[in-house]
Amino acid sequence: MFKKLILMSLLLGSLLLAACGDAAPAAEGAAAEPASTEPLVISAIPDQDPEVLQRQFGQLASYLSEQLGVPVEYKPVTDYAASVTAFRVGDLDMVWFGGLTGVQARLQVPEAQALVQRDIDENFHSVFIATKASGIEPFEDIDGLAQLKGHTFTFGSDSSTSGRLMPQYFLSQAGVTLDDFKGEPGFSGSHDATIALVESGSYEAGALNESVWDNRVAAGEVDLDQVQILWRTPPYHDYHWVARPDLAERYGDDFPDKITQAFLSLDPNNPDQKEILDLFGAEKFIATSNDNYAQIEAVGREIGKIN
Amino acid sequence: MQKTLSGRTSASPVAVPRPSLFNRKTGWVLLFIAGVIWALLQAGLLQHDFVNPGGWERVRRFLAAGLNPDLSPDFLRLTLDVTITTLAFAVCGTFFSLIFGFVAGIFASEVWWQSILPGRVGGRSLYRAPWLAVRSVLAFLRAIHEIIWGLFFISIIGLDPLSAVLAIAIPFGAVTGKVFSEILDEMPRQPYLVLRNSGVPPTLALTYTLVPQAFLDALSYAFYRFECSIRAAAVLGIIGAGGLGHEIFLSLQSLRYEQIWTLFLALFALNGLTDLWSGLLRRRLGAKLSCSGADCVDIDSPMSGTATLQLYRYDRVVRASLIIAALLIPFSFWYIQPNFGKLFSERTLLHLGEVARWAFPPDFSQLPLSEWLELSAVTVAMSLLAIAGAGLLALVLSFPSAHNFLLPGGLLVPSTAGLFHRTLGWAVLLIARSILLVARSIPPPVWALLFIFVLFPGILPGAAALGMYTLGILGRLMAEVVENLDDRPLTALKALGARGGDIFTYGILPLSSPRFLAYGLYRWEEAIRATVVVGLVGAGGLGHLLTEQLSSFDYQGVFTTLIVFVTLIFLVDQISAAVRRTFREN
Repeated sequence: MFKKLILMSLLLGSLLLAACGDAAPAAEGAAAEPASTEPLVISAIPDQDPEVLQRQFGQLASYLSEQLGVPVEYKPVTDYAASVTAFRVGDLDMVWFGGLTGVQARLQVPEAQALVQRDIDENFHSVFIATKASGIEPFEDIDGLAQLKGHTFTFGSDSSTSGRLMPQYFLSQAGVTLDDFKGEPGFSGSHDATIALVESGSYEAGALNESVWDNRVAAGEVDLDQVQILWRTPPYHDYHWVARPDLAERYGDDFPDKITQAFLSLDPNNPDQKEILDLFGAEKFIATSNDNYAQIEAVGREIGKIN
Repeated sequence: MQKTLSGRTSASPVAVPRPSLFNRKTGWVLLFIAGVIWALLQAGLLQHDFVNPGGWERVRRFLAAGLNPDLSPDFLRLTLDVTITTLAFAVCGTFFSLIFGFVAGIFASEVWWQSILPGRVGGRSLYRAPWLAVRSVLAFLRAIHEIIWGLFFISIIGLDPLSAVLAIAIPFGAVTGKVFSEILDEMPRQPYLVLRNSGVPPTLALTYTLVPQAFLDALSYAFYRFECSIRAAAVLGIIGAGGLGHEIFLSLQSLRYEQIWTLFLALFALNGLTDLWSGLLRRRLGAKLSCSGADCVDIDSPMSGTATLQLYRYDRVVRASLIIAALLIPFSFWYIQPNFGKLFSERTLLHLGEVARWAFPPDFSQLPLSEWLELSAVTVAMSLLAIAGAGLLALVLSFPSAHNFLLPGGLLVPSTAGLFHRTLGWAVLLIARSILLVARSIPPPVWALLFIFVLFPGILPGAAALGMYTLGILGRLMAEVVENLDDRPLTALKALGARGGDIFTYGILPLSSPRFLAYGLYRWEEAIRATVVVGLVGAGGLGHLLTEQLSSFDYQGVFTTLIVFVTLIFLVDQISAAVRRTFREN
């Protein structure tokens, strides 16, 4: 009986602890700081080496915190859909979205603002690649995509702009539908996986983000005897930081501008700030606006990724 | 042997006619074989090559990295941290699934409804309709995969750890509820009826009689659920719950093989230790059922009565386990800090309303009927291939994994076995168990991303991924069946001088096959459910459609597909119940 009592009290204790667990931090926050400095919660899914940023996000958070004068908290998320949803319900205040996910997020949060993007994002490209064994030859004109008919093909992540949305758009411009491939098109999950899958021959062709391709080629990580680039797409807008509309309310009207300034003033000559730029694969950040993503939205609707 | 058999029949006073070869049982076997052949054709057999020789170089590099995992202090610290996170999510998820399951179990039990609504209407028992309704609700809740629950809770609660905890608690609670209700229904009812006849209300009477009677079986099952929760917590990492799954996916996206291996090793250790602990405890509890998941297998001889409960109260392992569990629970809640306030907050209700508005009403006209059928066919084919492959391999691996088989004193070991035999026995056991452990520890989506390198895209890599995962779990469950076999007929055979092969063929195999079949059918349902998480490898099917709809935020489409999916699982459930009924008849 006695032992039973001990067990019961342990269990009860655990419940109480659990109950306290969530009450305590909230109480502390209220006591120690005024309501206006609740942390700015940010997140990012970068296009290359996501694990590096996700595991070293402290740098970005402390830089922004210093510049903005509010606590900044970084929440790692790996799934695009989950990050859009978290942005909608208000658990993420500002997110580094891809072109498509940024539009999806803004459509679900009216008045949300695209603030800044990298220098390369206003002029972004995808590349189509193929194995040499497939017999598909490099081409100069979009119509060359018709060669892909009858071959196996993989995209990257299903909601990636450069690995899925725009490639599918250019394919449809060239008259290639998803049914024209041999079997169903694949979704490799990431740009690096697309290179690896095409290189190993699991798929004969694929499409991915230009900057990942260029970086991997420059680093000598791609076997160019096996796989070659077919075509670079025309430019479009991609990755950008999107902020929720209630930030101005929370931190003051000039807050969105302060965020933009913080990114614009990232200085490649300052070693700490250079590291942040490197995490994003950027030379510098530039201002952007919602209008820049009208094409992405139109393509998203056409392809059915935006309803 | 044929001769002796017929000789024996003719000598016995009542001649038993040899059963026809064309009975319902062989019918099911033929149907199964036909099904597998159909699935292989669906997968494109004879149409193209399955294996991609170009992928072996990648596999070699991946395996080579296994010899050289990332052991830098920073990464080890990260690995430890996320391992504890995964453990904590599993503990919290299990905790709530058990509370939910035990409450639901009472209200899903036949005995409770019989007492509430004893009347009959038009020759039919009155209680059946509400009872079946409760069971269908549980069936619906458990048919939906943890990942989908996770995304649902993120969309109404947000990124709080509570989302992941609930994503485990709801489907696992529903399974636990079903199993617990069946355990209650199987218990001897005399004490309960005594209380009822003296005027005690049903719920109270149940709490004082059948619930304590069923306690040991339920406890045993609870620890099995904990094993499952660890695996679920790892998968949930994908959608932002953090933990091992999250890190594995990050490293996989950039193909950092050395890091993946470090995380894999942590996953193996976590799974291995949990399974060892749970296995040991359940052996101590002696519950024969080691009953698992969606459909509780026929319970052989449930222990009952307070006498046994008394007995086990003093067992050290049981006591230590309860204390460890009691410490782990508060620790886990403290570690991940789920915010329960969010559950009923205004914001949550607001988002729930939004999601409901977007999702209703389901719209089946989005796709033509032929397309729905095609997608369902792909899904079923994938699950059939997975279970067929996993079942065969599990059959091969389960016997050497059982400790009463090849080890000293085991069923197939001559009593004169020397050192060589003993070492060999241990080596085989360890290898077989390691294979099963690795197979079930790695989440199916990760298996899928590995298989896609060596198998050409299509149904097959998806099936292989599900098959590996299923193999790991099925092999372990089957090994437990072998370990729990009634050894009296087997030792009798051995004492009579039967050789190993004969003991196996005429003793072990017939004794274990009914439960093997039951577990196989149960895992088949689970495999269908899990097709959701491997839909992306060019495998298609409902899983792929669902993933596309999720990333397009097409809530109406998601809801519609889920209904089709759940219907499919109900159908499979019916088939597997029919198969079990046939094989139970003698």
